Amino acid sequence: MLETPAYAPTAFTNGYEFTQGTGYTLPEYPFVAPPELNSKQIRRHPIVIVGGGITGLSLACALARYGVAAVLLDEDNSVGVKGASSRGICYTQKSLEVFHRLGIYERIAAKGVQWSVGRTFAGDDEVYSFDLRQQSNFNLSTQPPFINIQQFYIEGYLVERIHELGHVDLRWKSRVTAFTQNAEVATLTVETPAGSYQIEAEHVIDASGSHTPFHDWVGATMQNKRGDDRWCIADVRFSTHPPVERHTWIEAPFNENRAVWQHLMADDVWRIDYQMAPNADPDAVSREDVVRERLQRQFGKEVEVEIVWVGPYAYRSRCLDQLRVGRVFFMGDTAKIVSPFGARGGNTGVADADNLAWKLAAVLRGRASATLLESYNAERLEAAQQNVQVTNRTARFLRPADGMERGFRTAAISLARQYPFARSLVNTGRMAVANTYTRSSICDSTGGQSVQNVAFRWADGAQGAINDLLQWAGGDLLVLVFGELPAASLRRLKQLAQHAPVRSVQVLGPDDRAQAREHVRDINVQGTGHVRGACHAVGHTWALVRPDGYLAATGKAVDGQLVAAVEKTLGLR
Amino acid sequence: MTTEAAIKTDSNFQDADAFYECLLDAHQGLSREQSELLNARLILILANQIGDSAVLQACIAGARDAPAR
Repeated sequence: MLETPAYAPTAFTNGYEFTQGTGYTLPEYPFVAPPELNSKQIRRHPIVIVGGGITGLSLACALARYGVAAVLLDEDNSVGVKGASSRGICYTQKSLEVFHRLGIYERIAAKGVQWSVGRTFAGDDEVYSFDLRQQSNFNLSTQPPFINIQQFYIEGYLVERIHELGHVDLRWKSRVTAFTQNAEVATLTVETPAGSYQIEAEHVIDASGSHTPFHDWVGATMQNKRGDDRWCIADVRFSTHPPVERHTWIEAPFNENRAVWQHLMADDVWRIDYQMAPNADPDAVSREDVVRERLQRQFGKEVEVEIVWVGPYAYRSRCLDQLRVGRVFFMGDTAKIVSPFGARGGNTGVADADNLAWKLAAVLRGRASATLLESYNAERLEAAQQNVQVTNRTARFLRPADGMERGFRTAAISLARQYPFARSLVNTGRMAVANTYTRSSICDSTGGQSVQNVAFRWADGAQGAINDLLQWAGGDLLVLVFGELPAASLRRLKQLAQHAPVRSVQVLGPDDRAQAREHVRDINVQGTGHVRGACHAVGHTWALVRPDGYLAATGKAVDGQLVAAVEKTLGLR
Repeated sequence: MTTEAAIKTDSNFQDADAFYECLLDAHQGLSREQSELLNARLILILANQIGDSAVLQACIAGARDAPAR
């Protein structure tokens, strides 16, 4: 329960700063003195990750799965935010597919909440609603469109999974206080409860969040945007439950005609997010009596409410001009900051991590050129810029400038009640997607899209999915060839696998004859499968899929074109 | 998105005078605020009839760049 409030100033953080509440008891991890503390010799590590949030831990877990050693430094000794509740709550299909590969999806699915119906209101009326189960673009994957769950649960599962896998040294209570880099190596000074030490790193990944000191240390440049929009979250439990749906009000009568979000998550906790007056005082809007009065106006006096957590926040947007400076790679909130609309923060952090992990693994295992790492910047900067643009548009719809901007919003909402076309203008957040890469040096013009984790049948009839094939490829590239092939093509595939880090699988239709030892059938419970469609390879013979479940290229004949695509994808061309 | 699209600058109306009269009639008796809402709705409906991003951009640029009077 809220007690005497002691509020921190909250201006311009994109995080949900804790104020007061019953909150959660988060796991605590022990500080273990690293060998460097008792040694004069400075050790050099191939990879040092700074920050153990959802992004840093996803990267660490992905590297561990590839068997690549790394050190992760986190200044805290827990997941989540100390004393606070949750930051992100909504995880998209692509993130869930990544978590499936990392081996924590089943736990997320068991703990989290699935939802598919969303309703948008203005005033007392529903403007429109949608049911994601009716949208065919989500049906291909074996993962659902979304799962809502508190971010710290995922972080906790990742920590436990990393311990299971080994390879990554998680160092808690380890704050980086200084950094230098040169052509040969980067050097970090780390402060711990048992003293300070220095370590060297060949690659440094900054996943330390929006307050990172690395931007100044490396002289990173960026684009910033700030507004006057203010929000206040109340994470609550109810005596009677609202429907298991996402509700958004653009103009809520119970919130002085400002916006309200009503989302559900694990443990029967609901996130009610209220838009406040522009430049509202965070102390005033998050006082217990004010929060309770607001909840009562929305849910009625008779509903008992337990407040789990309250957090006022303001947001900004920020995007670095380059996601790599020397030996430092920026990802998650150090790469870009977006408003929370559409769950484009955490989910893109996971995608950043998954993008760099296989590239680092391929380079460090000597299977790709070091220039492959440059493609991280090209691909994830494009994604970051797109996500910043999309979220800024939502922010502008939700907090229109007085005058014409508000006028057009009123017009759009009034039309949306009657005409379906106008619903596409009502922007309460565009849910995060797997961004397509259109200007990557390692993707062919036929590639760059995400491949959904679709189901197929193994040779023995058991069900499998694309992720199983990626797992089997173990960080190498995956060539899927569709249908029956000429003998010469089979020979060439064999040769390719002998000379390049590539595994190939023949994907057969229901009646095709198996020619390769590794083959699967593109059939599922409904009949004909969707593997070829998911690979965007209709009319093509092969698809080259990367370890991060992205398509590198497709082609018609198993010839020099495939060899060239493999080389390009590994940064060798 | 930056493709140059030309907007129709010659008359494309079947009946220009009738359209103009119809537009003015629709605003009759409305307050300034109601008229602004009508105009905004009308722009959104018309924009949806066009749909094409490049043409819409060119229309907006054409309206913006027209002389003040």
